[in-house]
Amino acid sequence: MMINQLAFGPWLDYTVNGLIIGNIYALLAVGLALIFGVANLINFAHGSVYTVGAYLGWASITYLHTPLPVTLVIVITGSALLGVAIERVGLRALHGSSRIAPLLATIGISLVLDQLVQLFCSPDPRALASQLPDLRIQIGRGTIGTLDLLIAGVGLVSATGLYGFLRYTKLGWAVRATAQDQDAARQMGVDTDRVNVTVFAIASALGGVSGLLVGMYYNSIDPNMSFDATLKGVVAMMIGGLGNVPGALGGGLLLGLTESYGIALFGSSYRNLFAFALLILILVAAPNGLFGRRRDLPPEPMTGTFIARSRPLRLPRALVAGVVLAAALLPLLPAPYLLQTLTTALLSALLALSLTLVAGTVGQISLGHAALLAIGGYASGLLALDCGLPFVWSVPLAGVITALLGTLLVFPALRMQGHYVSIATLGIGEIVTLVILNWTGLTQGAMGLTGIPAPAIGGIELTSVRSVYWLVLVLVVAIALLQTRLLSGHLGRTWRAIREDEVAARSYGVAANRYKALAFGFGAFGAGVGGAITAHLYSYIDYRTFDTTLSILALTMVILGGLGNVAGAVLGSVLLVSLPELFRAAAEYRMLAYGLVLLVLIRYRPQGLLGTV
Amino acid sequence: MVSRRQFIVMGAAASSAALFRRPTALRAADATITIGVSGPQTGPNAQHGAQWVAAFDLAIEQIAAQGGPHLRYVFEDSQSEPRQSVSIAQKFVNDPDIAIEVGDFSSTASMAASPIYQRGKLVQFGMTNSHPDFTKGGDYMWSSSISQAEEQPNLADFAVNGLGLKKLAVLHLNTDWGNTSKTLFVQAAQALGAEIVAVEGFLPAERDFRSTLVRIRDTNPTGLILEAYYADAAVIARQVHDLGLKQPIAAVSSVYSPKFIELGGDAVNGIYTQSNFFPDDPRPEVQAFVRAFQTRYGRQPDGFNATAYDTFILIGELVRQFGGTREAIRDGLTKIKNVPSVVYGKISFDPDTRRVAGARYERLLVKDSQFTLWDGSRPAI
Repeated sequence: MMINQLAFGPWLDYTVNGLIIGNIYALLAVGLALIFGVANLINFAHGSVYTVGAYLGWASITYLHTPLPVTLVIVITGSALLGVAIERVGLRALHGSSRIAPLLATIGISLVLDQLVQLFCSPDPRALASQLPDLRIQIGRGTIGTLDLLIAGVGLVSATGLYGFLRYTKLGWAVRATAQDQDAARQMGVDTDRVNVTVFAIASALGGVSGLLVGMYYNSIDPNMSFDATLKGVVAMMIGGLGNVPGALGGGLLLGLTESYGIALFGSSYRNLFAFALLILILVAAPNGLFGRRRDLPPEPMTGTFIARSRPLRLPRALVAGVVLAAALLPLLPAPYLLQTLTTALLSALLALSLTLVAGTVGQISLGHAALLAIGGYASGLLALDCGLPFVWSVPLAGVITALLGTLLVFPALRMQGHYVSIATLGIGEIVTLVILNWTGLTQGAMGLTGIPAPAIGGIELTSVRSVYWLVLVLVVAIALLQTRLLSGHLGRTWRAIREDEVAARSYGVAANRYKALAFGFGAFGAGVGGAITAHLYSYIDYRTFDTTLSILALTMVILGGLGNVAGAVLGSVLLVSLPELFRAAAEYRMLAYGLVLLVLIRYRPQGLLGTV
Repeated sequence: MVSRRQFIVMGAAASSAALFRRPTALRAADATITIGVSGPQTGPNAQHGAQWVAAFDLAIEQIAAQGGPHLRYVFEDSQSEPRQSVSIAQKFVNDPDIAIEVGDFSSTASMAASPIYQRGKLVQFGMTNSHPDFTKGGDYMWSSSISQAEEQPNLADFAVNGLGLKKLAVLHLNTDWGNTSKTLFVQAAQALGAEIVAVEGFLPAERDFRSTLVRIRDTNPTGLILEAYYADAAVIARQVHDLGLKQPIAAVSSVYSPKFIELGGDAVNGIYTQSNFFPDDPRPEVQAFVRAFQTRYGRQPDGFNATAYDTFILIGELVRQFGGTREAIRDGLTKIKNVPSVVYGKISFDPDTRRVAGARYERLLVKDSQFTLWDGSRPAI
């Protein structure tokens, strides 16, 4: 009956379309869930393995003219080997250092892999023709092809196969034991290294096959397809429940359906808005995912488990004062390019200072922090353009607006813990970007804000690189000092107490959520001011100026400097903005060099350069 | 390629020195004129940077072969991000060797750097920046990008009067370019009496269009308009095919690329589009470009190649007529007339808008996986 009714409207088509794209998300989510389940790690390199898999398939079809079964074997073997290499070379050495170092390592590995694909296969998209006979089946008014069925089949078979493997085989038990308690498993004689390698091999093989099939589906592969694959895969995994393999399958399909129905009701520019709103809803209402059970809740508070136990490097006051003095005197040298780069670095430092407070001191790893820059930039830009407010008023006001709006937006995430906060903030960040894009009446939508006036104080335009540099330097030093002062007092102790053990802090009467909100508010003010100044310097911003890649970059800066470390955040920003500039002579190899340096830094200083506080 | 390799070696030696060099008065026209290029060589838009390089190298060679000035370029990778394009801008402005800057690719990156170029009195030639406010950044912002105010009425005329499509659905990339194009198209098509039944925007990384197309299908259009680049347009065309939509499709000229046919396969047959040039175009500037490109790279050039090639030919002519200093080039742009161009036929700038008018259009149909000249016949609706 139901089907009959549906068949008359377009809803059957929307459902089929949702399931088709959902299949693809599911395939990605299954691999991510497997790795998360065992390594407790969101594998940001998964999308890159997916890209490599697609290119392996393309190369084997183009150069070796392999039929589909052989292509599949080559892709499975190649991707599995890549997975083994990632675990063995990139991650094993970081074992036991901290939870955050492997996360950063996967970001670095992803950067390196994407760059290698681009260098070897050219950045131009390539056609990857399907090797299946294209028989099409009419459903509703649209058709589905053999490839759609194959993708669904691979998703279903791999999820049930993995479920069976984890439940009924000896190695599967070992995997689950390792997931629960690595040390206990080892004590019982489980070779946990072997388990980890096996898991990475299986998950990567699956990732590679997804890349191949999806590439064939669109008949198009390119070296930049990895980031969006990771993003949607992570969202799908989260909906199904972190680390829940069959749940990931359901999560993928549900995400696909939501997007499809969202488009049906509101149009395609709202597509991702629905995906991320669903994510936040599920995180708030059912944090274990739709298919998880309540008793799977982590028995211990997960906040704080990210933080590596290390002693921070104590910087002598004289050294810090000397560096600040040198930085203040730097504009006396005639080096505008250097100053411009450092200005960008210091503006990033405002973001990093904010993030190091939230992620390091309070233990809430935010993956959507660039949204605060966007809010600050748009607030100040609109105040200047629409209300004619001068720079000296619009910028602090933008900071206040960002603090209020940012805290309000992040409020649903404050109750969450561990990885849930990261994913929720990732979603909130995307939602902010999409609202900016779609709220055309206020933000000019895709056209962006043009003609934002240059910074000016008391009627004098700050146009020289020197004056802007000084302005930003003063701000960074002021916020850094204030933050250090706060951290050494009562507030800092309370924040750290929440990070170390939220339950204990609460039982001592600390209203954890309010303190977290306070940290977000303070952090958001600084970031908002940073975004506002950036907007006035650029004179033009649009929804792409402050995107998710910047959020990831900010987290990289913070981890590199040492979580919670104020000086570390500034150091991390300066390094990560200057390194790509220093590598300019390497042309196309520039980002590869940057990725490799990043990996080496994590390998030898997993607790950050200056150590976590 | 040669010039870039050379640069790597020289750049390594010079980069530390360049950081501290005081900007000096510009030297008079050197034997070699250096062009600063800010664009994506890595990141999501890297393929466009590669398209530029292919065209630049060809143009430099041809100019030199014809006894013109010797040009070289310094390509700085910005990933088309504003954070990097501003540093590059500062670097170029303070490098006295740079006579003119070309790029960046996206308006997000270009317009963030404009204030620096304007203050530094270095021409920023945004050859792909169609954002209507780009040249309003100052009198050093110039652009040869095809004005959508011109192309869209042309496309609308093609679709409505040429192909007889009266009920149209528009699918556009949701960026400043796609958005401007969409608005201008809708205005022009409505003025010609067509009805716009659906307008859908999509995000740059989107790959799945099935549900969007169902939404469009249910508004019963008689034709589909694509405001997209070739890679997205090919993916859309395939899904149109899968969904069994039979409406004729007309697409903006940025789908004119051999990659469109490679990525779209059979699904792009029957799609109408336009292009500013065509391999069989008898104009000598088109022949010089298309034949040489094909000989050198073994493939057909596309619109991005043509725009980049035109830009360097223009700069060569500017230097030849007016000299190679920054000021000479800036003044030359206001005066130069009728430079041969693949895209425009002849390039002359309007000194007030600092843009070029009068792009040429060939109407095309994809037939048997080939771009062919449209023979004037209407599709069956």
